[in-house]
Amino acid sequence: MTPEPLSKIPGGMRYYFGAEARLRRALEAKCMSVFDGWSYEEIATPSVDYYALFERGMGHDEAHRAFRFTDTDGRLLALRPDVTSSVARAAATLFAERTRPLRLCYAASVFRQRARSHAEWRRESKHLGCELVGAGSHEADIEMLVIVAEALEKLGLRGECRITLNHVEIFNGVAEHLSLDQDAREEMRLLVDTRDDAGLRDFLATRAASSSQLDAFSSRLPRLTGGREVLTEARRMITNGRSLAALDALETLWETIEALKLSDLFEIDLGDTSGLDYYTGLVFKIYVVGAGTRVGSGGRYDELTANFGRREPAVGFVLDLDALTDVLARNESCFLSLDDGYISSIGGVDATRLFKEAMRRRANDERVRVGLEMKRHSMESSDEVEAPSDETATRRDREVAE
Amino acid sequence: MNLDETPILRSSDKRRLTIALAKGRMQGDALRLLERAGVRVCDEALASRRLAVEDESGRYCFIFVKPSDVTVYVEHGIADCGVVGRDVLLESEADVLQPLDLRIARCRIVVAAKPEAASADCGMLHVATKYPRIAAAHFGARGVPVEIIELSGSVELAPVLGLADCIVDLVETGRTLEENGLVVVETIAESTGRLVVNRASYQLKAEAISELIDALGESLQEKSMGKAV
Repeated sequence: MTPEPLSKIPGGMRYYFGAEARLRRALEAKCMSVFDGWSYEEIATPSVDYYALFERGMGHDEAHRAFRFTDTDGRLLALRPDVTSSVARAAATLFAERTRPLRLCYAASVFRQRARSHAEWRRESKHLGCELVGAGSHEADIEMLVIVAEALEKLGLRGECRITLNHVEIFNGVAEHLSLDQDAREEMRLLVDTRDDAGLRDFLATRAASSSQLDAFSSRLPRLTGGREVLTEARRMITNGRSLAALDALETLWETIEALKLSDLFEIDLGDTSGLDYYTGLVFKIYVVGAGTRVGSGGRYDELTANFGRREPAVGFVLDLDALTDVLARNESCFLSLDDGYISSIGGVDATRLFKEAMRRRANDERVRVGLEMKRHSMESSDEVEAPSDETATRRDREVAE
Repeated sequence: MNLDETPILRSSDKRRLTIALAKGRMQGDALRLLERAGVRVCDEALASRRLAVEDESGRYCFIFVKPSDVTVYVEHGIADCGVVGRDVLLESEADVLQPLDLRIARCRIVVAAKPEAASADCGMLHVATKYPRIAAAHFGARGVPVEIIELSGSVELAPVLGLADCIVDLVETGRTLEENGLVVVETIAESTGRLVVNRASYQLKAEAISELIDALGESLQEKSMGKAV
């Protein structure tokens, strides 16, 4: 077997450098300053934590995708596959005595050994997120959506993005009304999630007990996306109380969004049925033109902190910084070219003089680049250092002095 | 390929859709169905060897790729939509939306074997297939231990030559099986052509996509009504 070349990089990992790295850093700074502007306090969570934490926080299937290894005492550790689990634990333990609500935000890399889909190939990605713990009101949901909207706007993506809204209890109410067992519920959820109308109709045809009205609604579920008219249509067909209450909540939310003149960013999507076991109320997903997969998501998860011994309402979201960087890097006008204008190159033979001048300019916050190129060159070609010919010596002096 | 005439892909124009079609059997059926739905690609463009062509209205751009690549293009959002068989979807486990069964290119994914081997009991099955995931899932669900032998074509030969006990393959009429002395042991799934849609495009180009789904849905209905008469 031939040895692995040193140049090889593990699948799903990458470097960032040059203009792309600067863009990525700038996007992160913009988002974090928006979060700060809404009084979200930054929190850094451990990169490595017990696997059991993530299993509690994300559910078995999601946590299972993490890189796992053992601690010296044999306990299973994981490279963090999400940040929310850690934040929820901190809220229930470390911050148990703090007044509510807690507003926390983070910018952190998360790692997943197995990707979610073929298109989401990255195994390391940087998540920018906010968590609002201890507030269960309608206003808390709105606050999340408004922050996401502002962040997207600040990134110059308003008009290029869409945030879909749904409430998990709409589907849960329908599934309960159909008296579906766990497997059947998952089957129906998948059919709705992949918008398989025909498959869903076949599925419903085999369930004898359902009413025709409910069937009509269920088979329309995958196509119910759009503005307020979606809610009107759904309301005509829904009869169960659980779904109706969720529909009311969504309608109130939509009214506020309209009143805030943000409705061009949003869309209701009753067919979004992913993450039903995790979320308990509002769910949203963020799409941007140019990205084939979503660039962020969020929602309400009132059950999560109960896993850590203290039940309280919580809502949050994450933006995928790497996905956003990918989209904006393709759009050249968004590239921040830091190279223009303020680079001054200093040279000089004497190190003291050279750095005195450099430090003076740095004191004025100027961008400097010290001319070291020639010195590196002489290090590399060691034979020249040992026996410098007259020609190389003069060339070096001349270039350093420039 | 004349690059000047290649339509611009990845257009962010919300009215324009890029559609990936599986080359081969599916392609003709899909284009006929699209034509009934009012989307026409001129014959000249089809006769050329170009792999990307526009329809006559200029609102749709078609790319012709291998069936298993359709889901790749759609999942990455390079193509907004695609037409591909359910067999490919099951095998690739692609994360795409499947709003419409187009009822074209109907076939079955089956287990086939030599007649004398069909009922034989054995501790370990050797299965030759182009569909390793479907095969593994099928036998896994029944608790049958299998060794999957992945082939890329002429799978029917494997049992004949003794490479495998049975095959998992796509069957339309069953003639190839018959001519190679194999019989269908059981059907794993029915497969037809599906319209698949990228998750992000479904939201970002909602209007154009729902227009396409409606037009295709109507022409499907007309087709089935026509058959009934």
